[in-house]
Amino acid sequence: MEATIEVDGVRKRFGHAVALDGMTFTVQPGLVTGFVGPNGAGKSTTMRVILGLDAPDEGQALVSGQRYQELPHPMRYLGSLLDAGALQASRSARNHLLWLAYSQGLPASRVTEVVQQAGLIDVVKRKAGGFSLGMRQRLGIAAAMLGDPAILMLDEPFNGLDPDGIVWMRGFLRSLARQGRAVLVSSHLMSELQDTADHLVIVGRGKVIADTSVADLVAAASGNRVTLRTAAVSDAMAALERAGAVAIASGPDTVTISGLPSQRVVTALGADGVQFSEVSAHRATLEQAYMEITRDAVEFRAEPAPEVAR
Amino acid sequence: MSGTALALRAALRAEWTKQRTITGPAWLLMAVIAFTVAISVAAMAATGCPAGISCPVDTTRLSLTGVQFGQAVVAILAVLAVCNEYSTGMIRMTLAAMPRRSVVLAAKTCVSSGLAVAASAVAVVACVLAARLMLPDHGFTAARGFPLTSLADPGTLRAAIGSVLYLGLIALLSAGVAAIVRDPAVAIGAVLALLYVFPVVAAFVGNPLWHNRIERYSPMAGLNIQATTGLHGLPITPWAGLGVLAAWAGAAILGGGLVLKVRDA
Amino acid sequence: MTSDMATSSTTGGLLGRPGAVAGASRPRLGQLVRSEWVKFWSVRGWVIGMIVAALLTVLLGVFAAGNASIGCQTSPNGPRLTGKACTPPVPLGPGGEPVTDSFYFVRQPLAGNGSITVRVTSLTGVHATGNGQAQAAQNPLAGMTKGVVPWSKAGILIATGTRVGSAYAAMLVTGSHGVRMQYNYTHDAAGLPGTVSAAAPRWLRLTRSGDLITGYDSADGKHWTVVGTARLTGLPSTVQAGMFVTSPLYTHMQPFFGGSSAQVGPSQATGVFDRVSLRGTWPAASWTGDNVGGGKYSPGTGIGGFHRVGVSFTVTGSGDIAPIVPGAAAGVPTTTFEQPLAGVFAGLIAIVVVAAMFMTAEYRRGLIRVTLAASPRRGRVLAAKAVVVGLAAFVVGLVASTFAIWLGLPREQNGGLVLLPVRLLTEARVIVGTAALVAVTAVLAVALGAILRRSAAAVTAAIVVIVLPYLLSVTVLPASVAAWVLRLTPAAGFAIEQSIPRYPQVDSIYSPVGGYYPLPAWAGFAVLCGYATVALVVALVLIRRRDA
Repeated sequence: MEATIEVDGVRKRFGHAVALDGMTFTVQPGLVTGFVGPNGAGKSTTMRVILGLDAPDEGQALVSGQRYQELPHPMRYLGSLLDAGALQASRSARNHLLWLAYSQGLPASRVTEVVQQAGLIDVVKRKAGGFSLGMRQRLGIAAAMLGDPAILMLDEPFNGLDPDGIVWMRGFLRSLARQGRAVLVSSHLMSELQDTADHLVIVGRGKVIADTSVADLVAAASGNRVTLRTAAVSDAMAALERAGAVAIASGPDTVTISGLPSQRVVTALGADGVQFSEVSAHRATLEQAYMEITRDAVEFRAEPAPEVAR
Repeated sequence: MSGTALALRAALRAEWTKQRTITGPAWLLMAVIAFTVAISVAAMAATGCPAGISCPVDTTRLSLTGVQFGQAVVAILAVLAVCNEYSTGMIRMTLAAMPRRSVVLAAKTCVSSGLAVAASAVAVVACVLAARLMLPDHGFTAARGFPLTSLADPGTLRAAIGSVLYLGLIALLSAGVAAIVRDPAVAIGAVLALLYVFPVVAAFVGNPLWHNRIERYSPMAGLNIQATTGLHGLPITPWAGLGVLAAWAGAAILGGGLVLKVRDA
Repeated sequence: MTSDMATSSTTGGLLGRPGAVAGASRPRLGQLVRSEWVKFWSVRGWVIGMIVAALLTVLLGVFAAGNASIGCQTSPNGPRLTGKACTPPVPLGPGGEPVTDSFYFVRQPLAGNGSITVRVTSLTGVHATGNGQAQAAQNPLAGMTKGVVPWSKAGILIATGTRVGSAYAAMLVTGSHGVRMQYNYTHDAAGLPGTVSAAAPRWLRLTRSGDLITGYDSADGKHWTVVGTARLTGLPSTVQAGMFVTSPLYTHMQPFFGGSSAQVGPSQATGVFDRVSLRGTWPAASWTGDNVGGGKYSPGTGIGGFHRVGVSFTVTGSGDIAPIVPGAAAGVPTTTFEQPLAGVFAGLIAIVVVAAMFMTAEYRRGLIRVTLAASPRRGRVLAAKAVVVGLAAFVVGLVASTFAIWLGLPREQNGGLVLLPVRLLTEARVIVGTAALVAVTAVLAVALGAILRRSAAAVTAAIVVIVLPYLLSVTVLPASVAAWVLRLTPAAGFAIEQSIPRYPQVDSIYSPVGGYYPLPAWAGFAVLCGYATVALVVALVLIRRRDA
């Protein structure tokens, strides 16, 4: 049984508000899949549908080929963190994990293991109500790891983390993927996923706008532009145009080239004997790539659909 | 073991862990015992049978008066077991861990009514003991036709067991109502209205047909199980009365289960 | 308050200097009330809750009123009738109030001014055994036991006539309340104490002078004391005067647990009179015996009579001369103005839920921190909440109780019950008082919410302290215990709904369901207000001391 999440044509309305409008994507094992979109794009609703908390009006979501509700002890297949604050304040962290463990037929010793993993040993006997947001996120991660699941699904796990926590979380997510697990991480800030995600599902207004690997996305957004710094601007432009590139003088000593990778720019200039001081390939940040992609769908950013109150 | 039985066992264990790892339920259980016994003792202290007149008093029923008060605390216990999860949002975690919602509701109601039954058993035994100690001093002596209250007496035994079952059923009713309305304040208000408003309205309804109907078919008809004397004068027989409450509780649980099943969490 | 409001309107400038706005950082109560009012109506569930409260109050009240009908059978084999057809004719006294007026009257006309003096040497009687068995119609006295009922009456009486409901004044001895002067059904004054016997006879005298009738009593026929005077306006020049005996229904309340043990049955009294002395003009010069109102208005009447041996008169009678009070003892199915308010209990529960939530919702999502940041004077926040909830509950209570009574009373009367009318002022007190009861209960719930901070606990506490005591009082508690419960718990506040006063000269089953409370209306309401005040003070102390 492969560790996947398949979301297929899911539609969901809350009264008049359309929350999901044919959401379709797949989460693969061994990768961290970023689930990105503005507030109200339908990320949390999608996750609730995957967990069987909300019933879709149309379509279905499968976890390793089965509906979540049909999995015996589902947290052994899919560990999730939806809302770290959703716990009863007067119960200690350890006891919170304990009832969850029992609900999955797991022994109490498993609680000790995840507590260690999440770095909560020192605070585990304290009441969860007194936890900071960052500690609650760690507690939520521990709960998600209880069943040692092949799939993890985390809703906005970076929220409320301090810089150390963000670094820890990134490393943690990467290590999960390296272990061959499928990891779905939602965020409304692309920058959070910069060095974490392998694959991206970008959503807006309840449907997928882009479903792509991070490398492809960045490359597409960069548009193969190369910047050249040289004293002989006109010679260089002539040489490059002969090699089939589009060259534009973008300053007294700079030329912006498109249509030619940086290596071939160097070769072309060398063949014609044009002197240059610097050739640099332009790399878009993930944030820029995201803006590029959603530029056509301005409404997704300009006026996000109101978050459905839950 | 079948899948459902396995799931139910795990759910029971989880729900039991939930109840025992916060302090609220323990306090409430102690309150059930304390209030039930205290009100019973107060009622017995206030009732006497002066020499020379006949006293048509059902001493067993008198000694179990506190159940009318204890049931309010049992209702809180059961309502909170369900509603606290909604007010904190933890219900989503519970349902993510145990997606079979009927199993979750079954486990929850089993645990809270089990706790209610345990606490009320203690309270009822204490009430009967208090009756043994107090009533003879208030004129209810064996010489005047009031033998010492004892669980060996079949009528008293039925009243005692029935009172315990009554409180267990109140927990079921409350959990069902709570699952339907989800808000703790509204749920407790609805449960207490179901329990307390019918008898008050019955007292105002002069039409014997309707008076009788209300007394027979309202949830508090279950308290007829406490009667040991004058059984012919009861609006409904003791076990049938408890059956009426069981029907209310069953309907509430069924309604709660249905609502839980079809509604998004 | 008024000045607060005036100040608040001057501090709302948008473009004021920063200091000017800072000067307004202590919100006045008026402003807080406005902001809390916005919080209140903007939550749809709470508005629905208030509407539900009103509907429950009206619908349950109307339901109870609509099912209050009586049934009867005019003849053993006749058709069974219900409703108005079964309402017995009820005489009205001079004040317009329903009265019982049945007694045996040995009388003759008195023209103009004059007086009558008698000596009463004995008052004896029999009454039902009180085992609840209905007496056989053929022989109402079968199975009775000896004994005089406390308010059995034997004495002298001056009345406008023998029509039931006539204006009258009387001097009388009673079974166990000594000598009384009573007139026009509702007035009662005490004379000599003690019971009457041959060894301790009682002398009674009534003198008429125009509209004024004066009553005297004496233990020896020499030393007389004025017991009271009655002005019977419009008294005709010729009146009926003479001796009378009557005896009301025997009522007995036993402190009995698990149900009402009220026992009601007929009774009969016999009085022995002598030394009859008449002054003034008595044109008939002979005595006539009349069963006034006999047999028609009260079971057990119509069995009176008198015989004369020399100067001694022995008179036997049954019935009563008294106002009709709610309850079985009246012998008439009655209802009161406040009877359709049965649904108030259900309405109260809904109001309590909303009021408690209005406070506890602040704690649930940490809104209290926003609220207290906006107005750091915590006492005022609590006060503003109490004002908003109290006013809203008052309006709901006012509307709901008005409709319940307006819709319910006609149904009760159609059901055959006799409405005991009260003055307009009393009607207003019942309706406004019920609204105030609802409002104060809501404030109590707000205070409990602030103290307990948990909605379930606050709602339960409020319901248990106000509804449960009443419920236990009307269902299971013995009357003596119930009376204390209704004095000491917040449920005492229901006394505000009582419309019919408790007449000391009428023995009845004075129970809460009949509309009688142990405390006077305002005293009972004051008890509830006391609880609400204490709860508010505790809440105030806690809300100031606790971290938000």
